[in-house]
Amino acid sequence: MLALLRTFSWQELRHHPWRNAAAVLAVMLGVALALSVHLINASALDEFSTAVRAVNGQPDLELRNPRGSFDEAVFARVASLAQVEVASPVLELSTYAVGNSAQRVPLRVVGVDALVVARVAPALMPLLAAGADRLALFSPDTVFLNAGARARLTTDSLQLQSAQQLKAVTVAGTVGAGGAPLAVMDLGAAQELFGRQGQLTRIDLRLRSHADRADVVRTLQSAPDWPADVAVTEPGDAAARINNLSRAYRVNLTVMALIALFTGAFLVFSVLSLSVAKRAQQFALLGVLGLPGRDRLALVLWESLLLGLVGSAAGVALGTALAALALRLLGGDLGGGYFAGVSPNLQWSAWVALGYGTLGVLAALVGGFWPARQAQRLAPAQALKGLGDTQGGRRKHWISIFLIAGGILLTGAPPLFGIPLAAYLSVGLLLVGGIGALPWLIGLLLDRLAPLTARHTLALLAVERARRQRETAAVAVSGVVASLSLAVALTVMVASFRESVTQWLDRMLPADLYVRSAGNLGASDTVYFTPEFVRAAANVVGVQRVQSQRQVSLLLDPRQPPVALIARALDDPARSLPLLDEPLSVPAGQVGIYVSEAMVDLHGARLGAVYIPLSASFSPLAFVEHQQSAIFFVAGVWRDYVRQSGAIAIDQRDFERLTGDRRANDLALWLTEPQAPERVQQALRDLADSDAPGAGQLLGFGTSGEIRATSLRIFDRSFAVTYWLQGVAIGIGLFGVAASFSAQVLSRRKEFGLLAHLGLTRRQILAVVAFEGAAWTSLGAIAGLGLGLAVSVVLVHVVNPQSFHWTMDMSLPWQRLLALCLAVIAAGTLTAWLAGRGAAGKDAVLAVKEDW
Amino acid sequence: MSLVVTNLSKHYGEVAVFSQVSLSVAPGEFVAIVGESGVGKSTLLNCMAGLDSWDSGAITLDGVDLGSLNEDQKARLRREKTGFVFQAFHVLAHLSVAQNVALPLMLLHRHDPARVQAMLEAVGLTGLGERLPQQLSGGQLQRVAIARALVHRPTLLLADEPTGNLDPTTAEKVMDALIRQTREHEASLVLVTHSQAASARADRQLRLTADGLVRLN
Repeated sequence: MLALLRTFSWQELRHHPWRNAAAVLAVMLGVALALSVHLINASALDEFSTAVRAVNGQPDLELRNPRGSFDEAVFARVASLAQVEVASPVLELSTYAVGNSAQRVPLRVVGVDALVVARVAPALMPLLAAGADRLALFSPDTVFLNAGARARLTTDSLQLQSAQQLKAVTVAGTVGAGGAPLAVMDLGAAQELFGRQGQLTRIDLRLRSHADRADVVRTLQSAPDWPADVAVTEPGDAAARINNLSRAYRVNLTVMALIALFTGAFLVFSVLSLSVAKRAQQFALLGVLGLPGRDRLALVLWESLLLGLVGSAAGVALGTALAALALRLLGGDLGGGYFAGVSPNLQWSAWVALGYGTLGVLAALVGGFWPARQAQRLAPAQALKGLGDTQGGRRKHWISIFLIAGGILLTGAPPLFGIPLAAYLSVGLLLVGGIGALPWLIGLLLDRLAPLTARHTLALLAVERARRQRETAAVAVSGVVASLSLAVALTVMVASFRESVTQWLDRMLPADLYVRSAGNLGASDTVYFTPEFVRAAANVVGVQRVQSQRQVSLLLDPRQPPVALIARALDDPARSLPLLDEPLSVPAGQVGIYVSEAMVDLHGARLGAVYIPLSASFSPLAFVEHQQSAIFFVAGVWRDYVRQSGAIAIDQRDFERLTGDRRANDLALWLTEPQAPERVQQALRDLADSDAPGAGQLLGFGTSGEIRATSLRIFDRSFAVTYWLQGVAIGIGLFGVAASFSAQVLSRRKEFGLLAHLGLTRRQILAVVAFEGAAWTSLGAIAGLGLGLAVSVVLVHVVNPQSFHWTMDMSLPWQRLLALCLAVIAAGTLTAWLAGRGAAGKDAVLAVKEDW
Repeated sequence: MSLVVTNLSKHYGEVAVFSQVSLSVAPGEFVAIVGESGVGKSTLLNCMAGLDSWDSGAITLDGVDLGSLNEDQKARLRREKTGFVFQAFHVLAHLSVAQNVALPLMLLHRHDPARVQAMLEAVGLTGLGERLPQQLSGGQLQRVAIARALVHRPTLLLADEPTGNLDPTTAEKVMDALIRQTREHEASLVLVTHSQAASARADRQLRLTADGLVRLN
């Protein structure tokens, strides 16, 4: 076998280096893209997990409540327990810091007791700067920054935002915790600075060596006066939560990257199919000389293995380089926002590289299998005469039907571990089944077309060839079908998503101008508008009406990320929320809530049912004097394209009645002169400044048009990668067609020679070739369009809801799709014509003398 | 005269393929050209069909000077006036037997199924029109090629080793069909061959040498 590889196969490689290089390139790109996406995400997740573990430390037990805040009186009770060795109280909150640049930097502030924190979370232990006073550890208005914060805030004098005020603090040293910008300060100082006196968000417990965790939990929670909202649990892993939340996104990215590998397999398939077709007589000769079919199969498989090995090795190198470059230039966030602010180092793993390299080799082997079978099955006598197997051994199409049926059935399967694995498998089966059914489709269409071409020589020659050699035609266009179907599917999915987001923005942005206090949910308790400010804003000249919105973070399930509770005016929920159906009427004595689709998927909220977990989590929201219990009824389900982990909308009056919390985070303003919002913006800044100097600059403004445009710009940027992938896929598909046509027209020189003898001009011969190119790529375009639309239905209605917990309406951008198909047909026709130019030259005349 | 070749010479670089070749073929006449391998028999045949160029001399086909025509005009003349039969049959594998035979008619925009059937009957392939080439034997394939070469009633039939791939018995039958059909169609036949049996049946036998054609009978 080695001898044959070194002679027979090497000659083929030597004579067609570019064609084989393209197959290697396709495998390399697929492996590189998939590996780099994996490495970037793994590195970001690793860095994020390390940072989270550093901040949370390694306690045996922790006390939290879903709201994240509870009375510090609990601390005295637990610290005095005999089983507890160390109790470390923590107040953790999010806010913004202003350094030298006057730009707001998101900052996590952690208030700790410096005397005990090192024993539970050493990375949070403040380290004094050289020359700093030792008592700075306990000083008010003093913070210690981690490396992330120091990089963004290059000054020793900062201002931290509390409500609409900026409070000056001094940087006295550092902390070792990594990750996003973080400041540690004394617990009492933090409570004072942010007006959270007497409150903690967490107590970490380190138990004595012989203490029983379960016993401690039981002891605490069974005490009659133990506050119901404070849970004693083993440390929940925030890293696991972000892992769960971002898993579908990461898998989706990897799957998209694997598309390139999929089309790469088709290119290997095209290249080797045509290489085998071109060498049919050589294989036949080998057969005559005594090489059995099994060895011919093995020879082609070895050739594909070599292409795969070279492509995979290059892909691993390129993927590693791409990942290192991306981490350096973009950080760890690829657009999903899960790892924003993280600056990870590359976490390279030989096993992972080996895994993706193996995928590349497997793709090449799968691509080479069918051509290898062709080499195995060819009839030496027929092949030596050059007659080949015109019928190509009609395959049984029940396999394709079975695969397509399996693909359709799998769309009904639920996700596994939050990943739409069955849906991905369904897409794979639809593609493979659809491509397998190509000969049947070609026969179906051309059998009907053939009678129409009986009197038109050029059309007859083109159509009859594709009709009689439908298996060969299917091979030639399979690359186009695969790449076009993926391009169509991605185009439809992105267009549907964009259209749905556009409609969603129209519904969510009814006002003329929006004012935002905090950009992230975690800071909503630290950075907010007071009721007085909201009232004053309503009286600003030029403001017709103001609607405020309060957002609160709720941890309903420790295994899931917090959800957003949104309190806003909901007089007419059907108009003010993008509900999926008409809202239900709320039973008397219950409070209506409207949940996002993620709440249904992740937290089991059901339309028309009481949602009990909210009742349990809601009372801690209330200021003590307003505390009331309530039964919440899910009166509607709405689409939310922002909060992937879930959101609950509640009427503001209900929220305020139940909690007494009248603060606001966002303001929606209807203006008397919507075209000129600048005066109102300035008036609101002046208003904020009159409360606290400098607060005006902290207000974030956006007109509905600006927010809409920015959102869509971010959307387009996030999906730009899909356009690149479409381009790569189409390019690979067209290269496959070019390789097919080049090889075919070269192997048909005798046929062209005969046509020249019969009196066809060179132009007419080229017209036959171009017509064939048009006919074949048209068939590929029809099949690719149909298959792509089928795949897009799975992406839109199954993959997206299962991955991100939101639905969207199907939107077909027909003009773009037709342009895509026409471009592919034009490129295929041109490719065929170019390939035909060389083969239909003068030497074709001589080819008829060549022995068959 | 159907075909007149006058003082035709051709070189590949410095090497002369043939020189001073002259030949006149009358309507209905059968001329056989023999010669050693590599002497340029097939090249001469291609020149006669306007498929190859020459350095000096002239060729007229049915009174038309091939040298005065461009490639497209030569192709059109070839389409109307000539038919070809090759050693290796050269039938298109993806067309049926009848479609192969009908090709020259289709190129002339003539739709004449009856003529195609008549030609198939004439060469002994009645009922095989719908078959694909790979379902036929070598002898049958060559008869398809003969039917195709004559279906459009050309003036000149050029045959290049038409029996080279056939056993002697089949070769004789094919030659019978070729000569009979050529005579029935009153076409001129120029046959290039190594077969003495085939050349012996010609009206004239010529040997091609580097210095021109030499008559053998």
